[in-house]
Amino acid sequence: MSTDIERIGVLGYLVQRAPSGWVGRTTLMKHCYFLQELREAHLGYSFSLYSYGPFDSAVLSDLGEGEALGVLREEVISYPSGYGYQISCLLDPEQIAEVGGELLERYQRDIDWVVQEFQNYSAADLELLSTLVYADREALAAGEEISMAELSRRVKEVKPRFTNDYILRQAESLDRRNLLSAVV
Amino acid sequence: MHTRFEHSLGVMHTATLMYDAIRERSREILESDLAYNQDGLGRDRQLVRLAALLHDVGHGPFSHAAEELLPQINGGDGKYKHEQYSAAIVRSQLKDVIENHPSNANYGFKADDIASLLEGSSRAKQALFWRDLIDGQMDADRMDYLLRDSYHIGVQYGRFDLDRVIQTIVAIRFEDDGSIRVGITDGGFHAAEALVLARYFMFTQVYFHKTRVAYDVHLRGALKEILPAGVFPKPTPAELSEYLRWDDWRVLGLLSDGKGGEHGQRLRTRNHFRNIYSSPEVSKLADLDELKVVKEQLGGLVAAEEPASKSWYKTGTPDIRVVSQTKGPSPLSKYSSVLANLKANNQVLLYVYPEQVEQARKKVSEVVKK
Repeated sequence: MSTDIERIGVLGYLVQRAPSGWVGRTTLMKHCYFLQELREAHLGYSFSLYSYGPFDSAVLSDLGEGEALGVLREEVISYPSGYGYQISCLLDPEQIAEVGGELLERYQRDIDWVVQEFQNYSAADLELLSTLVYADREALAAGEEISMAELSRRVKEVKPRFTNDYILRQAESLDRRNLLSAVV
Repeated sequence: MHTRFEHSLGVMHTATLMYDAIRERSREILESDLAYNQDGLGRDRQLVRLAALLHDVGHGPFSHAAEELLPQINGGDGKYKHEQYSAAIVRSQLKDVIENHPSNANYGFKADDIASLLEGSSRAKQALFWRDLIDGQMDADRMDYLLRDSYHIGVQYGRFDLDRVIQTIVAIRFEDDGSIRVGITDGGFHAAEALVLARYFMFTQVYFHKTRVAYDVHLRGALKEILPAGVFPKPTPAELSEYLRWDDWRVLGLLSDGKGGEHGQRLRTRNHFRNIYSSPEVSKLADLDELKVVKEQLGGLVAAEEPASKSWYKTGTPDIRVVSQTKGPSPLSKYSSVLANLKANNQVLLYVYPEQVEQARKKVSEVVKK
């Protein structure tokens, strides 16, 4: 399998590992971001920041290709207040291992870690956590050492709808797990 | 023939129309959820206009055809993208003209404000919301290039009702997670549907046309021969000036002087590679098995393999939100049965040398059922 197809296998495995057997688009996007940023899994995505957190349209392209290939299925689920996506995997674990090839083999443990670590968060929290990690890595790349309060302030400017306290608590939860690099 | 400058003016114009429409129609959401006031909205309007105008200044010669030859990021994942060059150019070569322009006395912009919005940095603060107008699912870039390319090429595939999109564009609040996204009201869903279909048809009929793709292969091949070490300089202070020297004119001059190796020769003589096999536009895993068999059968005759998934213009899975006065937001595919059934194009094109077409055709016919 080519590397591109293997990446679809990685998405399929990520979906299979979810306790419910399916994930939403936000979960898929942010888990891929965590995989690359927190576990240094070289998937080849190039994330940049939007108001809804780190995003790369290539993840959605892979999702679309996964659907075309018959590896993934996406359904729209309507709620009283809106809608969400339910992405499931159409292949069994052996087939996904074949599609994912070496890439999946290399990062299987990292995917397990990401799913385990972030499976209980809502889409809104995943957006916030991933934005905190993004802002932290930006500071690191700029050679800055910043306080937790400064990191929270920067994220608050991107996401004014969250309270200062809530952003700070989420930042501290990341720091307790040693997932922030520029914070002193 | 049209230029990137003309396109950039068009993107700035379209982004301005979108911005003004959202500001007028969704002011309450912008004020309550993004903490905007009148002054902030006025300032960021100009910021979005500048970012839209400059979004493509980082392109190398022949734009996306050259993108594969951008260098690897040191210690990072993957290669540089043209957006990173745009941001670097704004921060260096364009810094003075932006910061010291007489009009800037009204705004106090730093070059970094524009670069941060272009590259997607937390330094762009609340203005990041507008990034969707420049690089998003329904952005001014796509809207402009679809209409402009159609007009100049002389095809109708890329046409859609831009005015109707502008008349119905809004900011949508998602109650369950509180996020704010750009979308449209239900009155505009057919216009948005037409936009997605315009992308789809322009991809299949123009951008991923077998002969156009063949010339991408030759341009890339020729540039690889011409560039020192086969890649463009990096967007670093030390190399950016050298990168900017690589424009279309310089490359055309070198090609005209006989440079570019075999690919340069094929460009000059219009003797391009020939498409010998194409997987279905929507390929299943079994179709990839057939592709593998064909490649094995052709062996060394395969001159190039071009997957749609690698194309910059690939269509992917659209994520455009629609809101009505009576219902919460829904994805466009819930409104449009056409789009609900539209799958991503993951076709793969195989090419051979023109001198070996007959030999290759025979080999393919031995393994592919009619």
